[in-house]
Amino acid sequence: MLAFELERPVSFKEALEILSRSGPNTAVKAGGTDLLVWMKKNLVHPELIVDLSLIEELKKISFDPSGGLVIGALATVNEVAEHPQAGKFYPALVDAALSHSDFVMRNKATVVGNLCSAVPSGDMIAPCCVYDGVMHVAGPTGERKVPIMDFITGPRKNILQKGEIAKAVELPVLKGHSAGCYLKLGRRNALDLAQVGVACVITDTPGGREYRLSFGAVTPRPVRAKVAEDLMRGVASPDESLLEKAAEAAMGCVDPITDVRASREYRVSMVGELTKKALRKSLERF
Amino acid sequence: MPKQPVNVVLNGKPITLEVEPRTTLLRALREVGVTSVKRGCEEGECGTCTVLLDGKLQKSCMVLAVEAEGRKVVTSEGLLGPDGELHPVQKAFIEEGAIQCGFCTPGMVLAVVDLLSRHPDPTDEQIKEGLSGNLCRCTGYASIIRAVHKAAAMLKERS
Repeated sequence: MLAFELERPVSFKEALEILSRSGPNTAVKAGGTDLLVWMKKNLVHPELIVDLSLIEELKKISFDPSGGLVIGALATVNEVAEHPQAGKFYPALVDAALSHSDFVMRNKATVVGNLCSAVPSGDMIAPCCVYDGVMHVAGPTGERKVPIMDFITGPRKNILQKGEIAKAVELPVLKGHSAGCYLKLGRRNALDLAQVGVACVITDTPGGREYRLSFGAVTPRPVRAKVAEDLMRGVASPDESLLEKAAEAAMGCVDPITDVRASREYRVSMVGELTKKALRKSLERF
Repeated sequence: MPKQPVNVVLNGKPITLEVEPRTTLLRALREVGVTSVKRGCEEGECGTCTVLLDGKLQKSCMVLAVEAEGRKVVTSEGLLGPDGELHPVQKAFIEEGAIQCGFCTPGMVLAVVDLLSRHPDPTDEQIKEGLSGNLCRCTGYASIIRAVHKAAAMLKERS
């Protein structure tokens, strides 16, 4: 690993100040489980790393029944997985958290970091999309809130400008009783990147039953299967032929690549299969 | 890059590590002779460099040494009793033949200590989940799972 300078601010304000006067080749670190690996593999060579890990206020996970779940930038994947309200109201997120890397890495890797890394197979992306997640971005001119669907702009690309820090991700509370799940297809259970990930959430809203679907590892940017969601809207117990149609529609929403883990064709086909499975599992959990 | 001192409590004893910002906890520990912490993949995959940092399992190749400032680090050496006797988990590994080349063993043992603190009587599923971050290329894991059950029984007897 090439040498770098390290700053360890103890307050968020101090972190923003350091970033405002730092050069263009600066990296912000939370857990660092992607950053250190990317540096070791010579994908990035930051001259300065701003390590957020001493900033207490970023460690918080808070839940407000009328607002939602707010996950601070330093909250680890395990802390989210173990959070009682996350388990109760955001099961697709907790499923995905438990499928992420392995037990030990989850003590270091953060949920917000996974979103910032923006690797298409990132397990936190699809669940944050079905829960309409919003990133709180703070910078020199104040704070802005950006939906995760817009926050990630491509593989390993996000909208963060120089001087900005992703402070927390907020998942608004759903408007009614809900159930959901995240299914991940990989070659092994631990420490594997997804070939396909599917997040599904079903909510009984005042306007009827609503379905949401999002996928991991099959699109360069986050995606919601709007066509499939619209097909199923209002249907309380979908029959097999409707599930089949939803799966077809879902397959039309993705644009995977062929790589070492799976071919494009296999991934598309598995999006269909996993969509049906995820819908069935979410209905069972309802 | 100039070195800076990092104060940690290593296996109960205060110690100062001299490190660069880029020095990982793994390399800093090996530098001061803690060779139970193995350098395997150095990418957070294999788990041979696992330590307990303030009571939580961490892969020390994924921790910058400076992040350990003021914190408690426990390695496999730190599991020994006051007279140097082996920890029940270490004994169980030996008795069940859960060691072949031994490279994964120090990290694996720490992961088992952590697992048994959370699940004193774990199921096979909980064992697999708890050890998911530690790879063993020799044993096929069967003897390791036996050793975990044995260690759980030994710890229960002791308490």
